[in-house]
Amino acid sequence: MSGHVLPVADGRQTAREVWRLSHGHRLRLAATGVLGIVSTGVDLIPPVAIGYLVDRVRTETAGLGTVLTVTAVMVVAAVLGAAGTAVTIVLATRTYHTILATLRERLVGRAMTLPQHVVERAGTGDLISRSSDDVTAVADAAPAVIPALTVTAFTIVVSLGGLAALEWPYAAALAVVLPVYVLAMRWYLRTGPRVYRAERTAMSARAQQILESQRGYATVLGFGLAGPRHRAVMTTSWEVAVQSVRARIVQSMLSARLNLGECLSLAAVLVVGFVLVGRGDSTVGGATTAMLLVLRLLGPVNELLFVIDTLQSALASLNRMIGVVTVPAERNGSGPATTAVRLREVVFRYGDGPPALDGVSLDIAPGQRVAVVGVSGAGKSTLAAVVAGIHRPEAGTVARPGRAAVITQEVHVFAGTLRENLTLAAPDATDRDIRAALDATGAADLLDQLPDGVDTAVGAGGHPLTDAQAQQIALTRLLLADPELAILDEATAEAGSTQAGPLDHAAGAALAGRTGLIIAHRLSQAAECDRIVVLDRGRIVETGTHHELVGSGGTYAELWEAWRAGQR
Amino acid sequence: MTRTDPVGLGRGPLTRWLPVILHAPAEPAGIRPFAAGAGLTPGRFLLRVISSVPRVSVPAMLFATVWQVGEAAVPVVMGLAIDRALATGDAGQLVLWLGVLVALYVALTTAARLALRLTAYAVQLLQHRLRGTLSSGVLHPDDGTGRAPDGRVVSVMTSDVARLANAVILGIMPVSRVVAIGFIAVSLLATHWLLGLVVLVGAPVAVWLMGLLSERLSRDTREFQELLAATVGRATDLVTGYRVVKGIGVRAEAEATRRYRQASQETLVGARRNAGLLGRFLVGSGAVTGLFVAAVMGLAGWFAVDGQLSIGRLIAAVGLTQALLPQIESIANLSIPNLAGARASSARILDVLRDNDSSTPAPDKTLPYEVTRDNDTSTPEPGKTLPYEVTRDNDTSTPEPGKTLPYEVTRPPVLEVSEPPVTVGPGELVGVRADDRTAARIAGALLDPWAGDDVHVRLDGVPVRELSPATYRSRVTVAPHRAMLFIGTIRDNVAGNPELTDTAVRAAACDDFATDLGVPVGEGGNRLSGGQRQRVALARALASDAPVLVLHDPTTAVDSVTEHAIAGRLRGVRAGRSTLLIASSPALLGCCDRVVDLLGEAAP
Repeated sequence: MSGHVLPVADGRQTAREVWRLSHGHRLRLAATGVLGIVSTGVDLIPPVAIGYLVDRVRTETAGLGTVLTVTAVMVVAAVLGAAGTAVTIVLATRTYHTILATLRERLVGRAMTLPQHVVERAGTGDLISRSSDDVTAVADAAPAVIPALTVTAFTIVVSLGGLAALEWPYAAALAVVLPVYVLAMRWYLRTGPRVYRAERTAMSARAQQILESQRGYATVLGFGLAGPRHRAVMTTSWEVAVQSVRARIVQSMLSARLNLGECLSLAAVLVVGFVLVGRGDSTVGGATTAMLLVLRLLGPVNELLFVIDTLQSALASLNRMIGVVTVPAERNGSGPATTAVRLREVVFRYGDGPPALDGVSLDIAPGQRVAVVGVSGAGKSTLAAVVAGIHRPEAGTVARPGRAAVITQEVHVFAGTLRENLTLAAPDATDRDIRAALDATGAADLLDQLPDGVDTAVGAGGHPLTDAQAQQIALTRLLLADPELAILDEATAEAGSTQAGPLDHAAGAALAGRTGLIIAHRLSQAAECDRIVVLDRGRIVETGTHHELVGSGGTYAELWEAWRAGQR
Repeated sequence: MTRTDPVGLGRGPLTRWLPVILHAPAEPAGIRPFAAGAGLTPGRFLLRVISSVPRVSVPAMLFATVWQVGEAAVPVVMGLAIDRALATGDAGQLVLWLGVLVALYVALTTAARLALRLTAYAVQLLQHRLRGTLSSGVLHPDDGTGRAPDGRVVSVMTSDVARLANAVILGIMPVSRVVAIGFIAVSLLATHWLLGLVVLVGAPVAVWLMGLLSERLSRDTREFQELLAATVGRATDLVTGYRVVKGIGVRAEAEATRRYRQASQETLVGARRNAGLLGRFLVGSGAVTGLFVAAVMGLAGWFAVDGQLSIGRLIAAVGLTQALLPQIESIANLSIPNLAGARASSARILDVLRDNDSSTPAPDKTLPYEVTRDNDTSTPEPGKTLPYEVTRDNDTSTPEPGKTLPYEVTRPPVLEVSEPPVTVGPGELVGVRADDRTAARIAGALLDPWAGDDVHVRLDGVPVRELSPATYRSRVTVAPHRAMLFIGTIRDNVAGNPELTDTAVRAAACDDFATDLGVPVGEGGNRLSGGQRQRVALARALASDAPVLVLHDPTTAVDSVTEHAIAGRLRGVRAGRSTLLIASSPALLGCCDRVVDLLGEAAP
């Protein structure tokens, strides 16, 4: 399984894709950058003004006018700086979210068009986590990442520039402290991500336990599992506590390292200031400005180090998203579209296992209905998947009509209205079409049970439906989609016998006038088909009509006898 | 972790031998659930939660105060150093003030470290306790009569619990910050009374103004996050139904993508609006703090010009004002939104707790005879204690899978259902053939006999409503049709009586895929096929060895050959116990002692 995961983009691919996505926003991004640098420059004015005031007071050249001027300058600078910073962040945030929206839409669009065999090998779980967890991670990183990449980074650069302009030794003194920060960052990048990952893993394990208890409430109640389930939830809950405290310990260790850097920086400013003032190269006001600039610098440096791991995990998520978007398009080239189904010497195996299909040849003429029967593990569902194009055969050829539809036992009701569920494959269907289809599959009385008819919300968070009802909706949807070939893989198996009649009726209606391949759960379904194919260990062992096969006394006749005995 | 770095915190050779202070210990004992009485308001509940771990939160608050006052003192020390050492050129003073600076950093770093860890521990302790309250009260009520909690409980037990537990920080950080602001104000008072007064009056006003701005922003941020969550939820829904979409073909792919794009664009509108509000907040808070600093500086500058303030005090005032800013910003930007979020979460948690507060059923009436249970009298096994004691009646603890011999039973009780009338005598295997709705009604009534009014259930003639849920559940196990498997191995899921495990696994025809019971079943059993899941669930029911077992359509996803095999083994594994089998499969009904046919046709 692990050998077939979906691709993850590397740094270069991601950079290229993000550059491409930024098309149409580049001018604005450049303007944002300029504005950011200007406004952080404006932010330097108040410390300089204070230093100027200190010097004027010391030399006793200050009057009320000086004080008022300095105060006014500080007010204007504060307001302008704040406004400039705010506009920078707003512009950057909007561009970020616009690009993210484009990316997530392309991600879901691509996910839907990926060849199914690719997704089946990787598992849908991976795709789900990329379109949910990773999208959320990148969106949630915005408030931390955007100020860090714009204002914070600019503040550091501009403040260092300001210090150098004031007296270059102040800036040089900070360079001496730099290794402390480099070491702190290296330690954090080595330790932090692992600890946070453990915390997140513990959190998802906890969420899973809670979710299972909620979904399985009836099971918990019926089996009296409240005690063990409570313990399972509480054990994972405390595991999160342990991991979270660990993560906070790592953060406090980082803070301590940053404090060391701060302390050294300030000490360096004092020592350099002492020398400079002593030599007459700087004034006390200049030293005050330097102190204020360093204090203003330290906050952003700390912030930047703290967001580095958010930045890293957002980048990892981005790589995973872009990995899906950039999967090269491949249309299944498994043969020309025909009106009939035609399999020749098809071989298929799962991984390195024994062949699940071993030299299967099968023809289904247009409009014909063929049933596949056999015991569990005979390869029936594999055959359906190969005909549908979900699995690609290892050897042999498959031809099928261009418009084929598959319904399996796996039901999924999409969150939305019943109408939205039905029109998924037929967006232009009118109310009349929908009604006619519901009538044909006998699902119309389902409408009476729904408070708002076809506009009732169903699926996650909506009106609950039984599996049999969900399957009836799937069959109605198939009718509306109007494919040439319909493949039903034990589609009506979920119902107990009381629901079997209505569901089989619905299946019959959905199949009317189409080529059909039916993996039969109940042999009564098979008996009604034009032809029956019996599979055994991946090979076709018998084929013929119901009567021929019962008469021949082979495998089918045995299965039929066992099934009939069960019905009595 | 690694051999050289035992705790995995990346510590170097100099420090890795040090103990890690306040590493979270093993699961705490003696945590009691919170009570949620009728008169409790969200605000009061919040207060109760904040004040419930004083032994951790009060020391945390004291250390945080030292930390914050220390942070506020940094610019002051710097200002004094500039005044005493740089302005005078006295090297001795420079050394002295460098020493003071280092000592200050040692003190504030140590205090910060302890405060942060204690705070983290307090938050986690509260989260755990709140989660325990919800787990035992809502998700796993041991009186087990309540309706199934809706999906809300999942988000309440994760995000809302986290948000409410974070409120304990409100009793730690803002308090320490207010003390630090007080320290700054007093220091300024000592510099010049008017400066101190301006800070004492101005700081609360600034906090209030910025709090107003930040609350509006954080409300909108929550709205945006919900919008984003909805879009993400839609993507999850579509991708979960991936096979269905692929099954219908290209048109469905295009339509699904179009629908997602629509939702995504709505979220983008929300994101842009949120960014606008963020901008307004940044302008507002930047202007407020900028004006405040300018005002204090202007005043201090005037006093200096006027000769009321020495140059040294002017620099100290500059430093103090500088120290004031982060304190004001943190209270406004972190604490006020935290309070608002915690209040909202507190209300949601109370809602969920009350919604599911099942009215206690009538006092337990004893059955005509007593079923003796092994662990009735024995004290709980050591090492298996709950994190806190759940109050339940002594004799009624639910049977715990994994323990041997749950019962020494003379005979199972007689089970009677009133409408439609069904009776299961001791040791009988009775089938019920009914339409879907009737079947669901009977199964529902047996699962929760206290819920509806239309179906009455009796055990040995005693109406179940007069029994405690625990008494009922120790006699009757109900396997619902949609059985849930829990993450873990097949063995974890089958559980029950260990001696019966193999028999049950075989009787449920799991032998083809469950040769190794240690195989994990995946989340919700997703590594197994539908039919395999159903058979493991059946094995669990059979292994429970319940005196009375109710099975509801246990083999619908199983093929007919296998179903036949199960039908043949069912009777043997349930010998001496009573079983009610609600099913429509003729093969299954064929193995029953008798069948109550509610569909009208006669059955053997």
